[in-house]
Amino acid sequence: MEGQPATLARYLRRAVVLGVVAGLAAIYLVIVGIVPAFELRPLITGVLGLGLTVPVVAILVIAYHAGRTPNTWPAPTGGPLHRVVPPIVTGLIAGVGLGGLIVIEELFSPRDILPKLTPQTTNIIGLGFEYPFGPLAIIGLCTSLGVLAAILHVLEARARRALVIAVATVLTFGLVEPLLRVMLLQLGRSDLAAFLYQAGRHGLTPIAALTVFILVLLIGLVWQYRGERVRRRYERLPSARRTSVRYGSFALVGLILLVLPAIIGSFLSETIGTVGLYLLMGLGLNIVVGYAGLLDLGYVAFFAVGAYATALLTSPVSSLSWEMNFWIALPLVMVVAAITGIAIGAPVLRLRGDYLAIVTLGFGEIVRILLLSDWLRPWFGGAQGILSIPPPELLGIRFFGPQQLYYPILIAVILGAGVSWSLANSRVGRAWNAMREDEDVAEATGINTTRYKLLAFSTGAVFGCLAGAFFSIKIGSVFPHRLDLLVSITVLSLIILGGMGSIRGVIVGAFVLVGLPELLREFGEYRLLIYGAVLVSMMLVRPEGLLPSATRQRELHDEETDESQYLTQAETAIGGPGISGQPA
Amino acid sequence: MPDASRDAAAPAAQPESGNLVEVRGLTKLYGGLQANKDIDFDIPWRGIVSLIGPNGAGKTTFFNQITGLDEPTHGTILFDGVSVVGLSPHEIAVLGIGRTYQNIRLFRDMTVLANVMVGRHVRLRSKWYEIILHLPWVKREEDATRQRARELLDLVGLSQKREEDLAKNLPYGDQRRLEVARALASDPKLLLLDEPTAGMNPGETQTMTAFIARLRRELGLTILLIEHDMKVVMGVSDYITVLDHGEKISEGTPEQVRSDPKVIEAYLGKQATA
Repeated sequence: MEGQPATLARYLRRAVVLGVVAGLAAIYLVIVGIVPAFELRPLITGVLGLGLTVPVVAILVIAYHAGRTPNTWPAPTGGPLHRVVPPIVTGLIAGVGLGGLIVIEELFSPRDILPKLTPQTTNIIGLGFEYPFGPLAIIGLCTSLGVLAAILHVLEARARRALVIAVATVLTFGLVEPLLRVMLLQLGRSDLAAFLYQAGRHGLTPIAALTVFILVLLIGLVWQYRGERVRRRYERLPSARRTSVRYGSFALVGLILLVLPAIIGSFLSETIGTVGLYLLMGLGLNIVVGYAGLLDLGYVAFFAVGAYATALLTSPVSSLSWEMNFWIALPLVMVVAAITGIAIGAPVLRLRGDYLAIVTLGFGEIVRILLLSDWLRPWFGGAQGILSIPPPELLGIRFFGPQQLYYPILIAVILGAGVSWSLANSRVGRAWNAMREDEDVAEATGINTTRYKLLAFSTGAVFGCLAGAFFSIKIGSVFPHRLDLLVSITVLSLIILGGMGSIRGVIVGAFVLVGLPELLREFGEYRLLIYGAVLVSMMLVRPEGLLPSATRQRELHDEETDESQYLTQAETAIGGPGISGQPA
Repeated sequence: MPDASRDAAAPAAQPESGNLVEVRGLTKLYGGLQANKDIDFDIPWRGIVSLIGPNGAGKTTFFNQITGLDEPTHGTILFDGVSVVGLSPHEIAVLGIGRTYQNIRLFRDMTVLANVMVGRHVRLRSKWYEIILHLPWVKREEDATRQRARELLDLVGLSQKREEDLAKNLPYGDQRRLEVARALASDPKLLLLDEPTAGMNPGETQTMTAFIARLRRELGLTILLIEHDMKVVMGVSDYITVLDHGEKISEGTPEQVRSDPKVIEAYLGKQATA
């Protein structure tokens, strides 16, 4: 296959396959009910709902992909046709698929097999047109998506980026409408809120959508074409000025973070708090999985230990009834965490890869079942858990409610990110990476792999327990049923989505996988389906994650170019300066 | 408190006489198979000693016992006067043994520079809590390590332009050099090279041979070599030990070994007599 020349025919064969894939994906989204359910949430009022946006974006992405040359193919011959025609073909085929779905509904109404395929649904994908114009409309729309993908291919990279960013911004503005609307009202800009968003309904007003699109597009174009100059000017600045610019931007971000809860209100502070807890866990698991390469599927165990340890120490109704102050209990919880990390790490020291994953998975379940058990009920309260965990107090300030608890969580996240960053860029981080790459060689190079594994486990455990401790005071009680496998999977997923081994990636992953679903609560039943889809497509399209660490990005993408580049340099390098020194 | 100044220092002065490694009665059994039989073996300070023998003669087994990957069934191994039998590989690495591998085993998805810096791990003192607290000597030690790693890359002839590349993206010859740099980073007293010229063309082999001699001359290293290429072995070794079926059948200077009829029979075979 790979030796074949990249003729247009070859591209077209691939485009047909991708078109079928896109069509099936879109049909799937419709028949499982995602499209009709999400359509209840308008992005642009009266124009575009979230329901139709999902398959539209999917088809657009796949169509764009159809015009790309895979790394394994030889360079294409001939003009730009191979970039323009395949996306259109892919879009057309996907459209025929969706159109066909409308026809099937119209002719057979297969409600008993496909309960979600209702006339309302076909009305959505038919863009509101009556049969038989609905199918034609969707075919037309999908073909134009293909044309749009083709145009994206023809555009210069910088213009393309600006355009994509503008479209994405409009969609995001529509999606986070509840958040933005509240923020604007809190800031006293009800005029702006009224301009952007339809009163009494969800979604951007069409005029606002257009304004945002044009504004962002212009800014994007200016930045893409002129940004290099700004960057160069910044680099030419004397280092003292550069430092002050940097500190200035830090201060600005700090200020925003400081006043954020007051602006976004109670509900969104709660959401941000939850994101913060997962972020903390993500940072911890990132050390274990991303840096040290130890696949731990039972991470929830540490979260549970932290939550229960805090509850036991601080709650007046716990079996200990010590009623300890939270801030005194916290260091104790961290010590307990480190010990738990070592206790769970020690038995699995000799296990690698899949075996480690399965055993840690078991540990996570064991912890939950023990907490739930009647046997330990006198201590942990069985299914009822432990109640009445008091809100923490410090210097007379009571941290009660999401808007106050935001601050300790924020501090924990910042400290956690700092610790994680420092360790990663030190001999400890290098030792972890070496262990991940080749455990035997790491050992022979002088790394005490036993110690470094335990260090990774216990550092990860401390992060997880901290998140558990804050979770318990946030909820005011702990129950075993909140501490299941799903927590471990969510944390692992957000690392994978963001980029294994990357702190920025963990932050993005936490906001996308935890924050976004909180905003889209009404679609809760599709949450896991979406997780799965996101992970599978990430693994296929961008295995290094959204914001990977620099090294990992090269690891997975630049290989081909690098090698060809080296082949030319290889000969000169082999007779390099050191070895060709004068023989005695 | 770690002393950053030692990072840039030259290897400590070493005695000029006596043996760095003394192996007595080394025997390794794998079930019924005698991989090494009652081997006595010495490596003098600053010597270059080669271990040769046909495939399956027990050379790599011998190597693995010195580096702690395998534990001998009987016998003693003294390194610089310390018994290394029963120590784990990382403890042996701390004592001052560095090695390369027959099939290159770099940390493939780490950068070139990071590979060398990992090699220096055993000479670094920063603890995890010192790193978290950003104590001043942590950065000093880190800078000194990076500096030292760059010197080593320079020494083995790897361009600094490549230092941020991933190890796996280097061409084959450069990967071999990088392995040597990683081994040197721990300031070893003894360097074990497992077939350093495997897969190299005659030109590369020649530069590698010169480089091995240079390592001893400039860094005062003691080197133990496993090698198949007779030109390399004869050209660079002070002493050669020949293993066959796990037994030592001959040892001596290259001239002595070359003319030993047992070696000719067992190792060089009919080709040499013809």
